Amino acid sequence: MQLGYELIKNQFFFRKELIERVGWFIRLRWLFVCAGFMGSITGHLVWRPFPLGCFLNIFLFIAVYNLLFYLFYAWLNASRPKEERFYVFFANCQIGFDLLALGLMIHFTGGIHSPFLFFILLHVIISGILLPPPSCFVYGLLMLTALGTTILLQHSGLLASQPVLFHSMPTVHAPEMPQTLFLFVIDVALVLVTAALTTSIKISLRTKGRELLSVSKDLEANNKKLNALYEMVKEMGMRTGLQELMDAATRHGARIMGVKACAVKLLDDQRKKLRFTSTYGLSGDYIAKKAVDIDKSVINRRIIEGQVYAVGRLQEQDQFQYPEDMQKEGIASMACLPLRVDKMIFGVFCVYSDVADAFAESDIRFFTLMSDLTALAIENLRSELNKTWFLQKTAHQLRSPLNAVHSMLRTMRKGYLGGIDPRQEESLIRCEKRIEALGILIGDLLGLGIRRTGIDPKQFHPVKVGQLVERLLPMYRAQADEKGIKIEYAIQEPLPAVMGDDALFDDLFSNLISNAVKYTPKGGLIDIVVRTEGTGRVRWEIQDTGIGIPEEEMPHLFSEFFRGQNAKAITEDGTGLGLVIVKEILDQLNGTIQVNSTMGKGTCMTLRFPIA
Amino acid sequence: MERNADILIIDDDRDLVSSMRTVLESKSYQVRIAGDGKIGYARIQEKTPDLIILDVMMTTDTEGFDLAYKLRNQVAYQDIPILMVTSFPKHMAEQGPEKFQHIMGESWPVTQFLEKPIDPEELLTAVANLLAEVD
Repeated sequence: MQLGYELIKNQFFFRKELIERVGWFIRLRWLFVCAGFMGSITGHLVWRPFPLGCFLNIFLFIAVYNLLFYLFYAWLNASRPKEERFYVFFANCQIGFDLLALGLMIHFTGGIHSPFLFFILLHVIISGILLPPPSCFVYGLLMLTALGTTILLQHSGLLASQPVLFHSMPTVHAPEMPQTLFLFVIDVALVLVTAALTTSIKISLRTKGRELLSVSKDLEANNKKLNALYEMVKEMGMRTGLQELMDAATRHGARIMGVKACAVKLLDDQRKKLRFTSTYGLSGDYIAKKAVDIDKSVINRRIIEGQVYAVGRLQEQDQFQYPEDMQKEGIASMACLPLRVDKMIFGVFCVYSDVADAFAESDIRFFTLMSDLTALAIENLRSELNKTWFLQKTAHQLRSPLNAVHSMLRTMRKGYLGGIDPRQEESLIRCEKRIEALGILIGDLLGLGIRRTGIDPKQFHPVKVGQLVERLLPMYRAQADEKGIKIEYAIQEPLPAVMGDDALFDDLFSNLISNAVKYTPKGGLIDIVVRTEGTGRVRWEIQDTGIGIPEEEMPHLFSEFFRGQNAKAITEDGTGLGLVIVKEILDQLNGTIQVNSTMGKGTCMTLRFPIA
Repeated sequence: MERNADILIIDDDRDLVSSMRTVLESKSYQVRIAGDGKIGYARIQEKTPDLIILDVMMTTDTEGFDLAYKLRNQVAYQDIPILMVTSFPKHMAEQGPEKFQHIMGESWPVTQFLEKPIDPEELLTAVANLLAEVD
């Protein structure tokens, strides 16, 4: 926002120009004085009639007053605060003295015929730009008056005429009235037109500056609001609980809109009542009031039907169910919008201000954007939670009868319902085994569902992956030994810890090791290598000499319930959820997986985790 | 006291309840049953049991927890040991306190967890230990 905005911000565009130019003029004047001295001497050398003494006096006069200006300027700069009126006064002084010097120069170089006459225009323009509008007229007219008076005095013989500089004949000629008057009129016209033009350009620039200022201010305000809105959306996106999300929405909402309070009210399942679900800045008493009955509240019904509702002065309205409460709460104006996704409206988003008429049309437009984004965030999370809930519920419902059957089988097998013979016992054991397999599938589903709600990364702690491998491997040794599979492992120490959760790592590695054992034929080899990779990662490699994964099936490897054709052929056991769980866990741990496989030769799974 | 201890099973799965009942009665415990939290609470008011075996998900997903908290907040019932039976995998149950605390907002109300399906020996051991602690 440096781009001229700071300059314009306090309407300093011209003031700042003035302050800068005041010093600049002093430096310019030194140059002018030097050039004047040298020019005068040169003029005198090449053209004898040149009035050297008169010129040197004038430049000396300029040098003296410029020195005074220089000292005054140094003092002015040292003083704080910089008051604009001093600078205006100073600029006026400078222009006044310059015009006096110019007047003398014009007078001594032939008055109305002087080649320096045009310098008047220069001063008119400068004063027109730097000083308030009438200044250039005042200075212009002053100079014209001085010039006119001189002409009159010379014409009447009261003042001696001066020789015209650089005239072929350095003659002194008394002004001849018609010609002189004509020249004077031209000068007057020139000065006035210049003053008028400068003034009009300056006024137009100043107006544009003001417009720019106002636009910049609006832009800056909007920019701030949009940034805040971005922060709000970002925070809402990070929330995993509905209540936390809505609390973030109301907290940010109140801050962004600059109001005392903000609330989200959601419709109940019957769409009859609106209840406060999250509030910010409202008192407990106010929130504790009963739910708003849609049928009784005209306003809320309209909002639920999709209208925007904004009231500038609440005390003048009598449509509220609880007007006295609002008064007690100190609410003077409010705006309420429907929370909607597409055409579905599921609640109301309100902001409350303690000042009347707090919401302009632009505020409402912005609030609409905010409420739409909030609705989207709520709906997204809700559908996510619903999916997870459904999955959990389904898994639980499936598991309940299984658990009951399993419990009853065990009770029976262990003789609590009376003695059983060995054949019966064997059947019961087989029943239990089959039910256990089904239980694993459902357990995977249940675990996946729970995991999808996410484990709070705040609970993560440094985990030693090396130790984990050593702890888990024995659990798979027996299974591997049965198939004559050799498991080798190498852990390159020292191995840095990675951030995570023991249970997640357990699940992750159990899934991968059991897969390797399951899909490696008899007499195979499983090689596990854990080591540091680069500076920031731990790499975990499981290489087997298993059946491999067909290339065309690679893209589906992490899809729910997917099992490779050759995997199905080798064993019926398998839920098709193992790698889905692996992927879910890796996502939570910020880990990655790379799968390289050759059909019939084996598979290598490479996992990488950022170190703690 | 241990042999005739009064155990209240609150679970909506009748088959599971009947299994547990069979196992517990084989050791001469007195067993009462309730199909949900509400009936369970009424049974507790009728007569304070020595131990409660409580399911988590019944009419609502957290009914077991709700009842456990309710009991923990009442002087008369806060010392009854609660054995919670759950279908959560073991590690989920173990990390339960942290996971559920933000939902409940209070301290963990359950004395011990037992994972379903119920193993008769595990059940008997858990029950015996809990009752012994009270004694």
